Amino acid sequence: MADTATPVRAPSVARPPTPDTSARGFGGRVRSRVSTLTLGSGLGLGAAMIWFSLLVLLPLAAVVATAAAGGWKAYLSVLTDSQTLAAITLTVGQAGLVTLVNVVMGTVIAWVLVRDRFWGRAVLNVIIDVPFALPTVVAGLVLLTLYGPTSPMGLDFAFTRMAVWLALAFVTLPFVVRAVQPVLEELDTDVEEAAASLGASPATIIGRIILPALAPAITTGAALSFARAISEYGSLVLLSGNRPFQTEVVSVRVLAFIENGNNAGAATVASAMLAVALVVIIALDLLQRMVARRG
Amino acid sequence: MSIEVSGVTKRFGEFVALDDVNLSIPTGELTALLGPSGGGKSTLLRIIAGLESADRGTIMIEGADATRVPARHRNVGFVFQHYAVFKHMTVARNVAFGLQIRAKPAVPFSTTWREDRARINHRVEELLDLVHLSQFAQRLPSQLSGGQRQRMALARALAVEPKVLLLDEPFGALDAKVRKELRDWLRRLHDEVHVTTVFVTHDQEEALEVADRIVVINDGRIEQIGSPDQLYDEPANDFVMGFLGEVTELGGVRLRPHDIDVAVSPGVHGSVPGVISRVLRVGFEVRVTVVPDPVIGAAPAPEVNVVMSRAHQRSLGLAEGAKVWLSPAPEAARARLAAVR
Amino acid sequence: MVRTSAPVRWLLRVLAIGYLLFLVALPLMMLFGDTFADGLSTLGSILSDPDVISGFRLTIIVALWAVVINLFFGVTISILLVRYEFPGKRALSALVDLPLSVSPVVVGLALVLVYNGRTGWFGPFLEDHGLQVIFNSPGMIMATTFVALPLVIREVVPTLTEIGEDQEQAARSLGAGPLQTLWRITLPSIKWAVVYGVVLSLARSVGEFGAVKVVSGNVTGSTQTATLVVESKYEGFAQPEAYGVAFLLVMVSIACLIVVAVVRPRENEPRRNKR
Repeated sequence: MADTATPVRAPSVARPPTPDTSARGFGGRVRSRVSTLTLGSGLGLGAAMIWFSLLVLLPLAAVVATAAAGGWKAYLSVLTDSQTLAAITLTVGQAGLVTLVNVVMGTVIAWVLVRDRFWGRAVLNVIIDVPFALPTVVAGLVLLTLYGPTSPMGLDFAFTRMAVWLALAFVTLPFVVRAVQPVLEELDTDVEEAAASLGASPATIIGRIILPALAPAITTGAALSFARAISEYGSLVLLSGNRPFQTEVVSVRVLAFIENGNNAGAATVASAMLAVALVVIIALDLLQRMVARRG
Repeated sequence: MSIEVSGVTKRFGEFVALDDVNLSIPTGELTALLGPSGGGKSTLLRIIAGLESADRGTIMIEGADATRVPARHRNVGFVFQHYAVFKHMTVARNVAFGLQIRAKPAVPFSTTWREDRARINHRVEELLDLVHLSQFAQRLPSQLSGGQRQRMALARALAVEPKVLLLDEPFGALDAKVRKELRDWLRRLHDEVHVTTVFVTHDQEEALEVADRIVVINDGRIEQIGSPDQLYDEPANDFVMGFLGEVTELGGVRLRPHDIDVAVSPGVHGSVPGVISRVLRVGFEVRVTVVPDPVIGAAPAPEVNVVMSRAHQRSLGLAEGAKVWLSPAPEAARARLAAVR
Repeated sequence: MVRTSAPVRWLLRVLAIGYLLFLVALPLMMLFGDTFADGLSTLGSILSDPDVISGFRLTIIVALWAVVINLFFGVTISILLVRYEFPGKRALSALVDLPLSVSPVVVGLALVLVYNGRTGWFGPFLEDHGLQVIFNSPGMIMATTFVALPLVIREVVPTLTEIGEDQEQAARSLGAGPLQTLWRITLPSIKWAVVYGVVLSLARSVGEFGAVKVVSGNVTGSTQTATLVVESKYEGFAQPEAYGVAFLLVMVSIACLIVVAVVRPRENEPRRNKR
C-alpha cells in the first residue's frame, strides 16, 4: 500500500477544478526530442529516404556539384554573361510584377469569393483551380487564342514581354487566392463586430483588423507565386517566342544551355534558381512557425 | 490487488509528471484518480494502459509484470475524454472492433468464420443493450450525441472483457446535465459488471459521488488514498482538504464552513466574537460572512465563512450587523487537527 | 462582419470577375471554339494520327506510374512526419515541398546529370545492367514523379494532424497491431484526403511538360508525351491539331477538377461537425 502521509506544505489555496486539458496535453502532444520510430516505421523511413534521395536529393546535389566544378570564376562568368543577365533581370522583374498584381487581385478575388454572394460564385471558385490543373503548355496555347496573332480583339501580345507577364499571371493565379481564402473564412467576425461597436469605420476595420490577420496568408501566397513565376517554363514556350534579350526567361536559358550540350552552364544558372527556391521554402517554414506560435 | 504501480517516475523534458508513485488498486473496485490539471493523473492512467511508458518503475496487472508489454497485449479497456470513436465505422462495428481483431483468421464463409461472426454479433448486441444503444447499432458516430458516443466507447472497451477498465476524464467533454446522468449510470454499470475500474477526474464531486476509493494526485505525487468519507472527514493535509471542499479559517485553524457552530451569546470557552457582514441565501442553505473582532496587538483575522441551513439561520435570527460567537463543531475536530499538524 | 457599401461591392465583384474572365475563362472558350471551328473533323483527324495516339499512350503510362509511386511514398512520408519523431524531421518536412518551387527544366537537368548514360553519376552503371533511364520512359516517370511529389503529402499531412492520435491509440488498447491499426483505422480516416491528393497528382502528371521535355529526348512517336505533341504540332504549323490535342488535355484537367469539387465537401464534413 502506498504511503499516504506527505510532508506538510505551506497552506495552499484550493485550486478550482478546471478542465484537465494540459494534463492530457502532457501525455499526448508534447513528446521528447528523441526518435519514436519502431522497427516497421524505421524501415519505412529508410525506404522513403532512399527513394527521396535517388529522386530528389542526389539529382539536385548533382546540379550544385556540376555548377561548382568549374570554380567561382567560371560560375560568375556564366551568370554575368549579358544574355543570361538579361534573362535573369527579365524573369525577376516580371515575377515581381506578377506577384504584386497577385497580392492585390488574389486578395480581392478571395474577398469576393468569401464575403460576397451572387449567382455564379461557385463557377468562379472552380475557375481559380483551372491554372493548377491545366498542362502548362496548354495554358500557353490557350492564352495565344485570345492574345496571339489571331486574337479576335486585335490584342497580339505574342513574343512580347506582355506575353511573359500574361503567362506568369495565368499560372500563378491560384496561389494567393487559395492561401487567403481559408483564413478569411475562419476569421472571427466577432472581432469585426467588436471593432464596429467601438466606432470603427469599414475602412478602418479592413485596414487594422482584417488585413493584418490576412498578412501571413498573403505573404505565403506571394512567396509561392514568386517562386513559381521564377521557375516557369511550359506556358512560355509557345507564347513568348524565347527571343534572347527580349523575352527569354531563365528556364528557357537553362534549356538552351542543355540543348547546346553545355551542362555546366545549365547547372550554373539552375543552381542560382535552386538557391532562390530554397530561400523561399525556408522563409515560408519560418513564417508558418511564427504564425503557429502567435496562435 | 489488480493493479500494482511501484516507483513510477515520468518526465516530459524538464517537467516532472510523476515522481516515484506507488499505488495498489484492489480488484473489482471503482477507483478515482482525483487532482488538479497537470497533476499527473492522466499520465499515470496512460502509463497503466501502456499508451505511455514510464521512465522508471513497474506496472503489474493481475500479478503479471506489464511494464514492457505493449498496449495491445495488456488487455486493458481505455476510454478517452474525446471518445476516440472510429468515425468511419457504424456503432456496431466500433463495438465489434476489438473482437474482430482477436478473432482467428478464417476462410470467409467457412464454418469457423460463420461461427465467429455469429458470436461477435451476439456479443455486440449484448453490449449495446447494456449501454442502451441497441436502436443506434447501424448509425455512424457522427449521428450520436456526446453522451451516446461515450457510452459507445465504453461498450467498445468492455467488449474485449478487459482485466481493468481505464477512463480518462470520461465525462469531461460533456455538459453538466449529461455528466450527472452518465455518472449515476457508470456507478450502476460498475455494480453490474464489477470490472476493476480506474477513472481520472478533476471534479471532486464526481469522485466523491461515484468512486469506492479516491486517490488524490497533485504535482506528480499521491497526496492521500482513501474512501470518499475518509478523504472528506480526515484529509491528510491542507491540499486534500482544500481540494475536496470549501475551507475557511477560524482562530488560526482551517476547517469546513459547515463545521462552525454559531452562538448569539458568548457561551463556549474560546469562541471567537465577530460581526456578521453579509448573509447570502443560496437555495436551501445560507452563507454567512463574519468579520472577527479585532484583537489588540494582533494582525486582523481573515473573514470567516459559515454555512448553515435556512431553518437554523431563522431560529437564531441572524442578520447583517448582528454580533455572534463562533466555535468549531465538535465533530470537526479530526479535520481540524489534521490541518494544524 | 464588415458590410461594404454597394458601389464598393460592385467594384470588387467586377474587378474579380473581369480579371478571371480575361485571364482564364475567355481564352479557354476561345480554345474550344478553335477546336470545333471545322466541326468534329479536327478531333477525328487527331484521333487517327499515330503520333497523337502514341503520345497519349505514353502520357497515360507515365502518369499512372508516377501517381502510384507518389501515392505509396506520399502516404508513408505523411504518416512518418505526423506520427513519429526522428532526427532530421523538420528538414525532411521542408524538403518535400521543394519540388513545388523547382523549375521543371532544372528537374530535368538534375535527373540528366545523375542518370545519363555517358557522364551521369549512376547512368553508365545502370546502362551496363540494361537499364536506360534518360531518353527513355523510366526517366520520364522519374521526372513526373519528382514534380508531383508534394501533392499527396500536402493533402494527407493536415488531415492526419487534424484527426489526431486518439483513434489509433483506442485501436491499440483494443488489441490491434500496427498493421491492423494502419489498415483499419488510419487509412480509412484519411481516405478522402488521399483521393484528393491522387487526383491532383494525376492532373499534374498528365500536364507535365518541361521536365519531361529535357529527359525524354522528345522523339516524335516514341518518347513524346501528349503535352510534347502539342508543342511540336504547333511549331510544325499544324495548329488545328495542336488545339485538338490541347482540348483533350483540357478535358482531362476539367474531369480532375470535377472529381476534386465532388470530393472536397466530403473531406470537410467532419471538420464542420466538430465546430
